[in-house]
Amino acid sequence: MDVLIAGFGVIGQGITEVIRDKQELFRKRFGEEVRIVGALDSRSYSVDPKGLDPSALLTRKLATGRVGAKDLDLDIRQLTDELDYDVMVEVSPTNIVDGEPGSTHIRTALQAGRHVVTANKGPLALNFHELSSLAKKNHVQLRYEASVGGAMPVINLSRELLMGEKIYSIRGILNGTCNFILNRMREEGLPFASALREAQELGYAERDPTYDIDGVDSACKLTILANAIFGMDVTYADVLRTGIRGVTEEAIALAAEQRKVVRLIGEIADGKLEVSPRLVPVGHPLSIGGTLNVAQIITDLAGEITVAGRGAGRKETASALLSDLLAILKDEETRRGTK
Amino acid sequence: MNVNVDLRLKDVPGQLVWALEPISANDGNIRGVVHHHDAMMGGRIAVNVTFEVRTEKTLERILDIWKEREIDVVRMDAVYESFPVQYLLVGNISSEEIEAITRGLESMDGLASLDIRFTGSVTSSKRAAMVTGKAIRKEALDQIEQFFRKHAKDGGYTLIRGLD
Repeated sequence: MDVLIAGFGVIGQGITEVIRDKQELFRKRFGEEVRIVGALDSRSYSVDPKGLDPSALLTRKLATGRVGAKDLDLDIRQLTDELDYDVMVEVSPTNIVDGEPGSTHIRTALQAGRHVVTANKGPLALNFHELSSLAKKNHVQLRYEASVGGAMPVINLSRELLMGEKIYSIRGILNGTCNFILNRMREEGLPFASALREAQELGYAERDPTYDIDGVDSACKLTILANAIFGMDVTYADVLRTGIRGVTEEAIALAAEQRKVVRLIGEIADGKLEVSPRLVPVGHPLSIGGTLNVAQIITDLAGEITVAGRGAGRKETASALLSDLLAILKDEETRRGTK
Repeated sequence: MNVNVDLRLKDVPGQLVWALEPISANDGNIRGVVHHHDAMMGGRIAVNVTFEVRTEKTLERILDIWKEREIDVVRMDAVYESFPVQYLLVGNISSEEIEAITRGLESMDGLASLDIRFTGSVTSSKRAAMVTGKAIRKEALDQIEQFFRKHAKDGGYTLIRGLD
């Protein structure tokens, strides 16, 4: 299977390492290699139909800040026309304003009959049904486990293992940065600004933390879950959203007096989507601390299912991307009728 | 609301049906009947009935019918099902606003208990007000939520709701 990696930031580098390190698994389980035949970042690209050396790509990126020696002087359509690949791994930065360049990358690959595996929330939160329909029309797969909750397998769990269940609602902590901040405010009695600064110093929060603390990131993930699991037709704009900027240390102390913690919870219930800070009883599965993500799925037969995992990070997101790559390999194997 | 009553019925045929019929007629749900044939008191038979009714008014109607039918109620326990109410408001909340919120909540039907605690902030002008209580009707929860959402929106406060 030949792969084009679109986006070579932290996540792109992570999946490149994993593809390099899991060749034995690919060979043993599927009898074939997974080759990276193309990689691009915002400034450069590199292609080789016979397969690129993953370690060389990583070394060049580290040394020069570029994945390829060539300037990115062609667009994704030309690259897709010229390069024969099976799967695009789309991991360019999330853009919630217009979804670009991810939306164009994904659209181009699907239209050309290539599978897409992505961690990019922007295109999915803005154009989910358009892209899903495009994948269906072209008989290819669009997989996006890595876009929600990193290593927490909530989408494939709900869509595949819980296929026979009626899912009533899903709620959870979908942003580890906010959870870290709220937890530090409670543990140390820190004001919001100090806890945010600590999160930034530790690399959990960006210099511009808006996406995290205003609930934008959680709202994007909730939108993806609503579309993918509940078959809703919603975009990011349909989420009622309140972030955690307004939460004070005194509010958290008042909650603690009632044995409650404050958590930023995303919830899909009764056809409504909301991200907001909530009072959660101490000891409840959603009272979890640290940077973990956790989701509760409420179903008719199984009742309450809780799944937790590391919500972000190079290896964790690569783990989810890998699970989607393996699912495509497995489906292709079944399609070919081989074992 | 779950209700448990000890009734005294005349020792004549048809009295049990005569006593239970008002419960069914008022959409009550009979959960248990214990007929003490051997426990005669003042010429009457003791019957213990457990049933469920939606509102207090329904229970009052049933009691009125029993009175008309000369069925004695010698003991009654009513257990209300309750639903927790938990809200935390954060922002520049004035004392007048807290009073208005308290008055608004106290005027609502279906709120059985109410406790409001508030604090100031040492690092900002913001205050936090924690409202806890119990509602005795599930329908009241929506009304209470809308009340808090409106206050939060109008006042620019951050609203932190309890997890259901």
